[in-house]
Amino acid sequence: MPILRRLAVPAAASLLVLASGQAAAQQDCPKLGGVLALTGAQGAIGKVIADAGKLAVDQVNKAGGVKGCQVEFVVRDDTSQPSVGLDAARFLVDVQKVHAIVGLVGSGTALQVVNSVSVPNKIPTVACCAVTPALTKLAEEGKTGGYFFRTIPVARSTALVHATTAIDKGYKKPVIMYINNDFGNGVAPDTKRAIEKLGGGVAGMVPYAENQPSYRSDVQKALAMNPDALILIGLSQDGTAVLRDWFALGGTQNVILHNTMRSPDVLKNVGEKFLEKAVGIDNAPASGPSADAFSRDFQAAYNRPAVGPGLQTMYDAAAVTLLAMQAAPKLDGPSIRDALRAVQDPQGEVVGTGVDGLKKGLDALKAGKKIRYVGATGPFTFDKNGDVIGPMLVWKVQGGNIVTERTFTTEEMQAIEKKVGL
Amino acid sequence: MLSYLLFFITVASILSIATLGLNLQWGISGQFNAGVVGFVAIGGYTLAVLSMPATERLLVQWNLPFAVALAASLVTSAAAALLVGLATLRLRSDYLAIATFGVGSAIQLLANNLEPLTGGSRGLVGIPRPFEALGAVGFAWAYAAIVLTLLALCYAALQALLHSPWGRVQRAMREDESVCAALGKNVVRLRLSSFVLGSVLMGLSGALYAGFVGTTSPSEFMPILTFQIWAMLIVGGSGSNRGAIAGTFVVWGLWTLSGAFIGLLLPPRWQAQAGALQSILVGLVLVLTLLLRPQGLLGARRAA
Repeated sequence: MPILRRLAVPAAASLLVLASGQAAAQQDCPKLGGVLALTGAQGAIGKVIADAGKLAVDQVNKAGGVKGCQVEFVVRDDTSQPSVGLDAARFLVDVQKVHAIVGLVGSGTALQVVNSVSVPNKIPTVACCAVTPALTKLAEEGKTGGYFFRTIPVARSTALVHATTAIDKGYKKPVIMYINNDFGNGVAPDTKRAIEKLGGGVAGMVPYAENQPSYRSDVQKALAMNPDALILIGLSQDGTAVLRDWFALGGTQNVILHNTMRSPDVLKNVGEKFLEKAVGIDNAPASGPSADAFSRDFQAAYNRPAVGPGLQTMYDAAAVTLLAMQAAPKLDGPSIRDALRAVQDPQGEVVGTGVDGLKKGLDALKAGKKIRYVGATGPFTFDKNGDVIGPMLVWKVQGGNIVTERTFTTEEMQAIEKKVGL
Repeated sequence: MLSYLLFFITVASILSIATLGLNLQWGISGQFNAGVVGFVAIGGYTLAVLSMPATERLLVQWNLPFAVALAASLVTSAAAALLVGLATLRLRSDYLAIATFGVGSAIQLLANNLEPLTGGSRGLVGIPRPFEALGAVGFAWAYAAIVLTLLALCYAALQALLHSPWGRVQRAMREDESVCAALGKNVVRLRLSSFVLGSVLMGLSGALYAGFVGTTSPSEFMPILTFQIWAMLIVGGSGSNRGAIAGTFVVWGLWTLSGAFIGLLLPPRWQAQAGALQSILVGLVLVLTLLLRPQGLLGARRAA
């Protein structure tokens, strides 16, 4: 008992201090919350992602801040555990009164936060990294209230390019083999649907289990469907094994590979001579002044290159949210939600990243002008579900090297998405 | 502030029910269950699967009311615990721990792969929540009331059990199983009954959490949850029901709120390290508890 008392008193006291401190600091200054995996399974990437978000906030503050205030950015660790992330989000919203949340690495955390905080409390939430299709579905059913956005292209983009490539190459009956997990199930069904919407057809779908020593039986099942091509959606290790069995059993060389197999090791292990007709898809790296400025600033601020998952998307999540806060007539959920789309006005003045770019954007908004934010991930626009589509590319193998066959700009991707209408 | 407190109390109370279950299994009956998360998952998924509105993707489209689904989750976790209990009947201490740890992980993998039933890796989103018609505030109060009532009921029932002849034999069995058997007690049945009852409480906890947040996905049920429940029981005092509840509030509070305090106290430059400090702090408190008060905050008579 005495231990309990000893613990309870300081805890209660600090809680009071905290509460009063919050009350005092709470004018109409924008506050941004971050829920990120700083420790735990995803901790290795999470810390750097937090740095990228902080860079955006620091630069906005250097550019004069939002609504005349220096923005406060409160980052909380979800320890890669959804329930801890949910608690952090609740604390940010209920106690620290943040106006929006950015971050969200794990899909489980994203689901809980969106469902139990963002929607009931009307807190615009911009995810940097969670790609789960469950949130797209939630948005389609109208259950997000439009409060969920993400700056990372969803799996759907890759499905669109798989489908477009199959049609372009004139494959009439491709078979889709895919790994039976969150990733494979997120891409393969959309690929099939997209092919059908584009006027093609598939011979069939063959899911396979992870980490098998041999995929002979799966490949035989696929070959029995008499396909004229193979669309392979797997990871590099199982993908290599599937391809070896595929060619060993006499499968066609018309294959379309996922970006996970864009590696010299895969080519070597499968055998380049089998991959002369093979093509693959991948996300195209953003290029242009905005992306370059981000890379330069990140290197200068943290003395490390801006390489790694989620850096560009996190920077954009924070930057676009802060711009939206400036553009919003009031600092409440619905206004910021609507402003998140308004700062991507296609007719608006193009503004970029870095202190200069953000200052240009903030000043234009203050002057009542429309802007179009072009971020570290290049130009992007939230679709009706709050998802974005990014630039993509198709690669092929030529003389033992991986070369780019064609690229799809964001605009082309949007056109394809419209045509397919998934 | 108030809304956060209410949220915190709700989640900590839900976790307390699982800790009470573990206390019954370990603190009272002496069975080392290292697969707590598996039974929590079964409870959570049962509630989710049975109450999800019908969609073409799902196998089960019953859309049952909350209370019915909650009751069903008790049944499924009991059935699962009975199977696991029977299968591990001959295992003791560390062997039982390894076997149950495997069961816990297997259940998580099943949830990840039985896509038509559990939604697979995407999980189930949009589980209907009771009292949602009352709005966000009304829901929070009503749900907290339900959870606290159930926690009080569980506590009262466990206290009664603990002081009943059944509870006394359980504790005797914890100290020396052979003596119990020699005295003519049916050790097998006693072991099974406390294992099943404890697992039912874990299932209830999982179901209440799923009903509270409205989503469930395999990533919620990683082994870390088993570890947390164990930490709560050890810190609170294994063998004591009050200790289990107190330990849950203290450890969960430490786990979640320490992040907020560190964030407030640290200079902005070091904010990126807050996560690491949080882990250190949690570990430090656990180690200090074990060193300075090995029987836990409200520990039972028995010394470790």
